[in-house]
Amino acid sequence: MARWEISNTAGTLDRRSVLLGVAALALVGSTAVAGVAGVGTTPNDGLYRVGVTESSPFHTPVDRATELEPVSPSDDRATLRVVDTDTTDRSARVVPPQTQKAQAALSAFGDAVRRHNTQLMNREENQSAAFPVRVTVQYVVQSDTGVSVDTGGDGDDDSNNPSDGATTDAATPADDTVSVGTATPAVTQSGDRTTVDGQTGGDDQTPRRTATAAEGGGLFGDGDDGAGSLFTGQTTGSPAEIAPPFPFGSLILAFLFLVPMNFIVQAYGSTILNERIDRRGELLLVAPLSALDIVAGKTLPYLAALGVTTVGVTLAVDGGVLSVLAVFPVALVYLGATFLGAMFARSFKELTFVTVTITVFVTTYVFVPAIFTTIIPVALISPLTLVVRDLQTGGVATTLGEYLFSTGPFYVASGMLFLLGAGIYREEDMFTQRRVPAKLLDALDAQLSGRLSVLLLSAALIPFVFVAELLGIAVLVTFPEELTIPVLLLQVAVVEEVAKSLPLYAAFQRDRFERSYAAAVVLGVLSGVGFFLGEKATAIAQVVGLDNLPLGEAALAPAGLGPGTTLGLLAAPLALHVTASAVAAIGATRTWRQYLLTLGLAIGLHFAYDIAVVVVLLE
Amino acid sequence: MLSEKTIVLAIVIQLFVAGFSSFLVVGLVSLYSPDDSQAGLVDTAVAGDDTDDLTRAVQQTPGLGVQQYTSREAARGAFERDEVDAALLAAGGDEGRIAVTVLVPDSNIQTTLVVTQVRTALRTYEQTERAQRGDQLTRATLDPPPRSASNNYFGFTYTVLVPLLLFLPVFIGGSITVDSLTEEIDRGTLELLRVAPVTLTEIVEGKLLAAAAITPIQAVAWMTLLEFNGTPIANLPWLVLLVAGATVVVIVLGVTLAIATPDRRVAQTLYSLLTLGLFGMTALSPLSPINAAARLAIDTPSPASYVTSVAAAVVAVVLLIGVRSVVPWERVLGE
Repeated sequence: MARWEISNTAGTLDRRSVLLGVAALALVGSTAVAGVAGVGTTPNDGLYRVGVTESSPFHTPVDRATELEPVSPSDDRATLRVVDTDTTDRSARVVPPQTQKAQAALSAFGDAVRRHNTQLMNREENQSAAFPVRVTVQYVVQSDTGVSVDTGGDGDDDSNNPSDGATTDAATPADDTVSVGTATPAVTQSGDRTTVDGQTGGDDQTPRRTATAAEGGGLFGDGDDGAGSLFTGQTTGSPAEIAPPFPFGSLILAFLFLVPMNFIVQAYGSTILNERIDRRGELLLVAPLSALDIVAGKTLPYLAALGVTTVGVTLAVDGGVLSVLAVFPVALVYLGATFLGAMFARSFKELTFVTVTITVFVTTYVFVPAIFTTIIPVALISPLTLVVRDLQTGGVATTLGEYLFSTGPFYVASGMLFLLGAGIYREEDMFTQRRVPAKLLDALDAQLSGRLSVLLLSAALIPFVFVAELLGIAVLVTFPEELTIPVLLLQVAVVEEVAKSLPLYAAFQRDRFERSYAAAVVLGVLSGVGFFLGEKATAIAQVVGLDNLPLGEAALAPAGLGPGTTLGLLAAPLALHVTASAVAAIGATRTWRQYLLTLGLAIGLHFAYDIAVVVVLLE
Repeated sequence: MLSEKTIVLAIVIQLFVAGFSSFLVVGLVSLYSPDDSQAGLVDTAVAGDDTDDLTRAVQQTPGLGVQQYTSREAARGAFERDEVDAALLAAGGDEGRIAVTVLVPDSNIQTTLVVTQVRTALRTYEQTERAQRGDQLTRATLDPPPRSASNNYFGFTYTVLVPLLLFLPVFIGGSITVDSLTEEIDRGTLELLRVAPVTLTEIVEGKLLAAAAITPIQAVAWMTLLEFNGTPIANLPWLVLLVAGATVVVIVLGVTLAIATPDRRVAQTLYSLLTLGLFGMTALSPLSPINAAARLAIDTPSPASYVTSVAAAVVAVVLLIGVRSVVPWERVLGE
């Protein structure tokens, strides 16, 4: 099956396309090389006009700065005017108008002058007088900063917690209002590490070369001289040569993993949808293969391609095994989501939108939290955080628990996506123009067989619920706490109730179960139990100490995972889930409107319960 | 034949992408250039031999606070206990230089913030020390102007955000063209339209023009939004001309690829690569559309900026006429 897919793909490539493709690749490649080398126009060429007389010594720096364009001082298009009454001295007066543009121009002008000064001094004979101060920057881990979280309080954090003493203290914006079970930041010296640059004592040659090479000022260069290396920053040299490290260097590198994925996923979506146009896939369907076999065969080549590119990128950016392991589940989710999207889409146009949506969503989900790698533990919901840690020298080590926490939902979710898609890999869904919601119901219904399967399905939907809730936490973590906790709880209630009852609605609408109230209650109870059991998977959250974060606490505590869990606290959420989903199930036996009504009721119930628990817990 | 739903979806996605990228841009810039952000005071420990000038330089730097320590060890210890945010340890270096060891915390964002602030102080210090050694130098440096109160996203808004908002719809527009055309050819649905009292060429052109018309409208909408947001956009008609021209060029490329390679996978991949390559090439040329868009919008246009807009439009018209007269529509689509 996989071999067939490859040969099939190869067959669609004629020689002309291959030639065009190679030419296009060469074009992109040479452009990228030229761009990196700083050849050609940059976006900020000549952004500001500076009026300066040619006899002024300030004319040269203005002329050399790419952002600035020198004009005559009488030119009324000038953004900024340099009034140099005495061209023999070394100073001049600048009178910027009070506009943002003029202020930006002034800043660029200042940078240009400083850059010019450094170049002047570089030509001096007596270098020790020209650069009298020599700076060495050492990056040191302070005892009180770091990502690792102390689970605090429970005492036996030996296996999962390599670095004691470091806490999330002061990391969250509002953690002084609520602090449950967080240990006080005991200052220990054990976690201290002095990571020194490793290239100390570089002789005069190296820094000076950097200063001239960086003259062009790239997109991220701040216009000062000696932009240095983009990612690490210069560590030794004159003050001008010290470049602040680009804060998200390793994040940008981590982003490289996602770029090739988009191309592969595009092709994958096309091949799936191709089968569905003009009933081309019919032959495959009648072949003695199960739907899963066909799907697996069609997916394997693309999965392999993703694996190869991931390993390639890892080698290119000098990453380790952890990078590959962290990116792999992301690739799986990409494929799974695209597969389901291609099963739902009715045309290529729709497919393009589906893939773009998937790309945007997955990118946001993995990228945005990773920005906060060193600040908040929530960043761990993204596998890219692990990649960033892997790429950072002296970064925090990742434990197995943390790996499972950040990639587990991805593994399970991609499995579910494939299962859902494979469920509708059949004639009546593939070759008809059914609407997307109808197909979603079909997909859910296809996963159900007996009553117990309700229990399983609702447990298996947990990763999606988990992902949705974590995304909520990640988005809301920056806002003031009083506002976010109710919003978060409402979001949790909506997501969980929909996840529990939608499969039931699908099953009733497709007449899988008898439409009686008794059946609804039984199934609702089963779904609630399944969900409750599945939710225990969130216990992983405790491993990384997400519950130390007040928001994490709020989201997870109602599930009975708060500190000091007792039997009573365990039984309460079970009762809640069962009751709420039974309520929602009653409406699901009827029409769409009635389902919405009972679903609303269930959400209200859930929300009220959560609020009550949080209020009690916080007191 | 674009249903309204897909247009709405396209706009929603663009909104999302734009929001995401502007979040990134603003976030990155404010973090990378922390002089502008209203960050708290960076407490700096100063210790070592003869630190008067150094202390004064630190005091003069806005955003830095000084804590003097008697010995380098004491300052280092205070830094390690997190009592200060940075430490400057001065000592005599080779050839009469002063060696300053800077201790900064190793954590992404804070590091950048601290290094940037400390560097400003050290440059002031360097100027002082250099002036004291002025008799050993043959050249004199220029006095830099005072630090401005500019915010650094000003430049970024025009060089990154504006081009992104203008050209992303162009790229998407071409991609939609490839999709709809490969699909029509694939399914043979155009055949059905033959009974209509218009020629096939007219139908195809109508579809393409509809796709091409959306991008300039989006460009105007985005730029208006930016205006509302306090970012003045100049030369809007020229920007629209540039975007319209680029759209037609990209759509013609899409049509050509869709006809040349009716398989969607190949056509889309080639389209993405070729558009990226072409766009990158022109971006590096003197007629860079990105630079033209930035300079037009920020109101510092050069003759080249106008030429770029006009050139895009001229190339577009030439391509349209070329496609119309060269491509045998009836044969391509009628098969």
